[in-house]
Amino acid sequence: MDMDSMESSTRSVQNDEIHHNGTFHFSSTKSHGGGGAASPAVVTNIVGPTATSVYELLECPVCTCSMYPPIHQCHNGHTLCSTCKVRVHNRCPTCRQELGDIRCLALEKVAESLELPCKFYNLGCPEIFPYYSKLKHESLCNFRPYGCPYAGSECGVVGDIPFLVSHLRDDHKVDMHAGSTFNHRYVKSNPREVENATWMLTVFHCFGQYFCLHFEAFQLGMGPVYMAFLRFMGDEEEARSYSYSLEVGGSGRKLTWEGTPRSIRDSHRKVRDSNDGLIIQRNMALFFSGGDRKELKLRVTGKIWKEQHSPDSGLFMPNLSS
Amino acid sequence: MEPRINHLQIESQVHELLDYPVCTNQITSTIYQCSNDYTGEVNNDKENPYNCPYSGSKCTATGDTQWLLQHLRNDHHVEMHDGRSFSHRYVHHNPKHLHHATWMLTLLDCYGRQFCLYFEAFHLKKTPMYIAYMQFMGDEEEATSFSYTLEISGNGRKMTWQGVPRSIRDSHKTVRDSQDGLIITRKLALYFSADNSNSKELKLKISGCVWREH
Repeated sequence: MDMDSMESSTRSVQNDEIHHNGTFHFSSTKSHGGGGAASPAVVTNIVGPTATSVYELLECPVCTCSMYPPIHQCHNGHTLCSTCKVRVHNRCPTCRQELGDIRCLALEKVAESLELPCKFYNLGCPEIFPYYSKLKHESLCNFRPYGCPYAGSECGVVGDIPFLVSHLRDDHKVDMHAGSTFNHRYVKSNPREVENATWMLTVFHCFGQYFCLHFEAFQLGMGPVYMAFLRFMGDEEEARSYSYSLEVGGSGRKLTWEGTPRSIRDSHRKVRDSNDGLIIQRNMALFFSGGDRKELKLRVTGKIWKEQHSPDSGLFMPNLSS
Repeated sequence: MEPRINHLQIESQVHELLDYPVCTNQITSTIYQCSNDYTGEVNNDKENPYNCPYSGSKCTATGDTQWLLQHLRNDHHVEMHDGRSFSHRYVHHNPKHLHHATWMLTLLDCYGRQFCLYFEAFHLKKTPMYIAYMQFMGDEEEATSFSYTLEISGNGRKMTWQGVPRSIRDSHKTVRDSQDGLIITRKLALYFSADNSNSKELKLKISGCVWREH
């Protein structure tokens, strides 16, 4: 197929190599079992250089996102995604003709047989997906980069773990600790001033891995609370190989939490709202602080360890069948 | 008729771990001197009776610990367990239907003394919570010579509370409102209860023990 007519200013085409928003290339020799035996009504899957040109046709001319059904077109055949259709006040942005309610069913159907590699192919993902399931896979792809685990601001930085560790240290000025045990004192002279979430992040380096220890003050429905929890800088499956404990105490009382660190794939807010960590009401925290109990002087100790058994067997699973 | 006690079932297994022989029928006595120089022995319990620790109903019974034990067992049908360790499962098929304050009381008998173990569901500023704590059937001075732990585990997580039992001179409501015990949100309790069955049932396993510090 003659590819020259598909050239755009941002891309160039050479032989079987196609550059598209970065570089990838896939051979046009990918075959599907029984392609020749497919019934005439079924379009055989579109692969190779053709896939890119169809993929480009599925890009909305206004917002440049990939279009998903319902895909619209004007009387002259210019296409538009449903999100943008709402915003263009009934005028085709390409030719300014009035828009009707014409749906571009043919393009939707052609997209069904389009297959493309995962956008994280250059980070190692070997998989190829039909157009309609690619997006879903990419949101869960194990090769996708991690988001910065710094809570509080919506830091949009992404990258692999070593990159994010440097980023936390250099850009967010987060404390770094080597070792698997900790003993922190959280001091706040006027704990009543906890308006919005106030929090602290420390990074621990042990067992060749990095962990984020979060300590936070916020409002839970029941009033002001402090929460401490650990997140693992890596995927959930690997996180299950580790356990951690946190302990606060004072005045003859002690509260201990033992759990599995969550992966940083789970946002800080999600872990916090699931209450998956050590939670103490402010009154109890002030009680633990001793003294006149007006100042917060909370000593939190803890440790991280690697589980000996397989991550699936759940050390503290109760015998619910008994 | 007990209002909500039917909604919770306890399945309890008691571990009897008596480390040393237990003395029974120990009644503390104090000698005091009044301003008129008259000294005498006072049986603390009889002179200063305790209120019935069975909360929820408006039970106004008072008496010494021995009498209250009989009263709790016979009139309130409270379970009594021997030994300083215990393990209970609190099960409820629809925890969202627990009323404002639903609770369970179990008695523990060890070291020649008795302890009240409370498990309660309540709302703290509209957030549903569970709290478990222990109270000592006696005076505060003796209560501080004991410690207890309560532990909840499940789903790869474990929470442990270690505390000092409050005397039953403090009402159960006072102790509950001071949050002096193992306290968790219902959300976390359901997380502990989670297993592979995807049900939203409450299945809390709480175990613990009491010991004498000095």
